[in-house]
Amino acid sequence: MFTALAKIATPESASVALPYLRSEDAALRTQALDALRAMPAVAAEHLSQLLDDSDPDVRLLACEIARALPTGDASRVLGELIEKETNSNVCSAAIEILAETGDVASLPILARCAARFPNDPFLTFAVKTASGRIGSSER
Amino acid sequence: MTDPPQMTEDEFRRLAEFLYRRTGMVFTESKRYYVERRVWERIDATSSPSFSVYFAHLRSEVRDEVEQLINAFTVNETYFYREDHQLACLTTDLLRERVATKRPGDPIRIWSAPCSTGEEPYSIAIWLLENWKDVDTYDIEIVGSDIDTCVLEAAAVGIFGKRALMRLSPEVIARYFHALDDERWQILDDLRQSVRFTRVNLIETKETRPQGRFDVIFCRNVLIYFDDESRRIAAENLYDNLLPGGFICLGHTESMSRISPLFEVCRYSEAIVYRRPEELRRAR
Amino acid sequence: MPDNSSKRVLIIDDAALVRAYYRAALEAHGFVVGEALNGLEGLEKLLLEPFDLVIADINMPQMDGITFLRTLRSKELPVSSIPVLVTSTEAGPHDIAAARGAGANYYLVKPIKQETLAEYAAIFCGRPR
Repeated sequence: MFTALAKIATPESASVALPYLRSEDAALRTQALDALRAMPAVAAEHLSQLLDDSDPDVRLLACEIARALPTGDASRVLGELIEKETNSNVCSAAIEILAETGDVASLPILARCAARFPNDPFLTFAVKTASGRIGSSER
Repeated sequence: MTDPPQMTEDEFRRLAEFLYRRTGMVFTESKRYYVERRVWERIDATSSPSFSVYFAHLRSEVRDEVEQLINAFTVNETYFYREDHQLACLTTDLLRERVATKRPGDPIRIWSAPCSTGEEPYSIAIWLLENWKDVDTYDIEIVGSDIDTCVLEAAAVGIFGKRALMRLSPEVIARYFHALDDERWQILDDLRQSVRFTRVNLIETKETRPQGRFDVIFCRNVLIYFDDESRRIAAENLYDNLLPGGFICLGHTESMSRISPLFEVCRYSEAIVYRRPEELRRAR
Repeated sequence: MPDNSSKRVLIIDDAALVRAYYRAALEAHGFVVGEALNGLEGLEKLLLEPFDLVIADINMPQMDGITFLRTLRSKELPVSSIPVLVTSTEAGPHDIAAARGAGANYYLVKPIKQETLAEYAAIFCGRPR
């Protein structure tokens, strides 16, 4: 069903898939996210709403949708998310993607995030690794 | 031309992680020089001012850049008995399973898609004749399909050069080909006529569906080049073209893990093969 | 440091940084590490190479951790009973029950300290410190 939705790739089909991101069933969440990933243009329209969701699990999955955005947009959107995000796991998910897409502007955002969550050992590691990836590309 | 500028370790890791996520191909530190050369060729070809710009271009999947890059890493030659461990798996394991519920005279349908210039479907035919004791017990149908009508025409004619035959023994060549001259051999008529060639675009369900359902599908070294959405559609089409319990073989660097969750994964004698689940028996 | 050098751990997580983090932790304690990006690749790796322990995330593309577990446990193969330690950002009783029901041996909530991971890996590989 989800592949058929992705083929159609209309705002309606994205709306059908979206509620399943909240499902308690891991398989349904995965299939919904895969469907949304397969229709990046349509999914992008819902992105800011998802990144603002009250449920941190939804915000976390929404980061993956941001991965499909053009490099500059992905970095900007995820940078904005990180600056106001209170859940360290959501931050870590965003940092994972910034390791791929991030640019110089991302570096201070990452540093501030690490300072806000000094007790999350993975986040600290992720910021360090992602910063290294970004830093060396700017030549 | 001077040596290409070196990639930093972090640039290499960024690229390696992207390619691993996208294709499943693993590039360790030891492959760095090999990767660097090919990446810098692509950076040149796309007139990208830097690796960063090129990487953004690659990520955007514009104009098949991922395909171009993957092409640079894979050997794309087609020849007879390529990846013959899968042919061995076919006769040792896959057909054995398929005939468990068949009676003598029942059909066995095998699909080679894409078939390119015919090396793969003819290889299957020859391999079966050479290696399968039950080759005459069942009604074997081999179909070769491709999106490109030019290669299909060449496949139907069945003329091949030395390189295509390099893995075949002289005995096998003598048995199934006749030499046109020093450089070219043609598949014998009987064999040529035993393979049916059809034009099919794997992404178009209206083209795949009429091919019917198969016991075994060989779909090697094409899905890796499609974008995410096309791969998924093709995989669903291929699923529909399999009989319940039927098998599909991908190229050795490919994996369904990057494509679709529809298939069961099976291991047979060193090969990973995928299977459409058997249907549950319905109570009558 | 105990000798874990013969013990092989498969990490299944779609985040490259998470795999790198776990790899660093496990290699520092002498484990040999393999990686997979989702449940389906995890199954393939388990069918091709020997491992002593699997560490699997829940949310992954194509095949999630719960489906991976169910599929693994339902195959009638020796590898089907390999210990699986599930990791997840979700800490609710429903999620833990789902993992247990699918056949997980243990459940750790992210973020996980490297020391903790290494400790549990050693326990499940039969070498508690």
